[in-house]
Amino acid sequence: MAEPVGRPSHENSYSLRPAFQHKFRSSAVKECIHAILKENLANVQYNPEETPELTRFLSETIKDGLKAEGFHRYKMVVQVVIGEQRGEGVNMAARCFWDADTDSYAQDVFMNDSLFCVVAAFGCFYY
Amino acid sequence: AGEAEPRRAQSRRRSRAMEEFHPHNDEMTFNAEEAHNIVKECIEGILSKVDYNHNKVNQWTATIVEQSLTHLVKLGKTYKYIVTCAVMQKSGAGLHTASSCFWDTTTDGTCTVRWENRTMNCIVNVFAIAVVL
Repeated sequence: MAEPVGRPSHENSYSLRPAFQHKFRSSAVKECIHAILKENLANVQYNPEETPELTRFLSETIKDGLKAEGFHRYKMVVQVVIGEQRGEGVNMAARCFWDADTDSYAQDVFMNDSLFCVVAAFGCFYY
Repeated sequence: AGEAEPRRAQSRRRSRAMEEFHPHNDEMTFNAEEAHNIVKECIEGILSKVDYNHNKVNQWTATIVEQSLTHLVKLGKTYKYIVTCAVMQKSGAGLHTASSCFWDTTTDGTCTVRWENRTMNCIVNVFAIAVVL
């Protein structure tokens, strides 16, 4: 009896959950953000004309940096807030409705004499 | 004949119940206006009659964010939500926010609500990321 000529069997390779190495790890992301902030904001003074452009530039740069880190299968949101330091009170909060197993966030704060900068990066797994 | 009737009626009831839970994924886009209204109501409910108070602002931001999230989830759409809120005392200082997102622009979206009163400014951002089943 001849063996039926079948297709070679393939393992399922579409993963529904990220492997540990590919998880959106807060610590790794925080370091990436911290490095970018230090590089771009080290001696910058608050300037009402330039700061909007700087804020936009920072959010794009951080997003590109995170993409380069290799979080495939993750949709990302990066939010950057820059404010002038005048001793006023600021409070920022965030809540998320997501899959706590796969999704996560990272945050960092940078301060110098004339400005403060808060960055929050969120990563949601794309199933 | 008498037995067949009730069985048919039962299966019709069951299939109608199942229909209600199927999300309509063909035209799923984020409704920013709806989210805007929801968030605005939450903010006004909490901040409209108060002045900036350093001791309470923590509680306010947490409540605004939690309430907004709860109402958004109640819409019943298959979305993951991220809600952020920043409350700042009015002191003449400038504040800039920017966000950059890497997602599917056809299904995901964002909405920003700005609100102020005599003593403080409040900015709430909602990011909605679709879950494709």
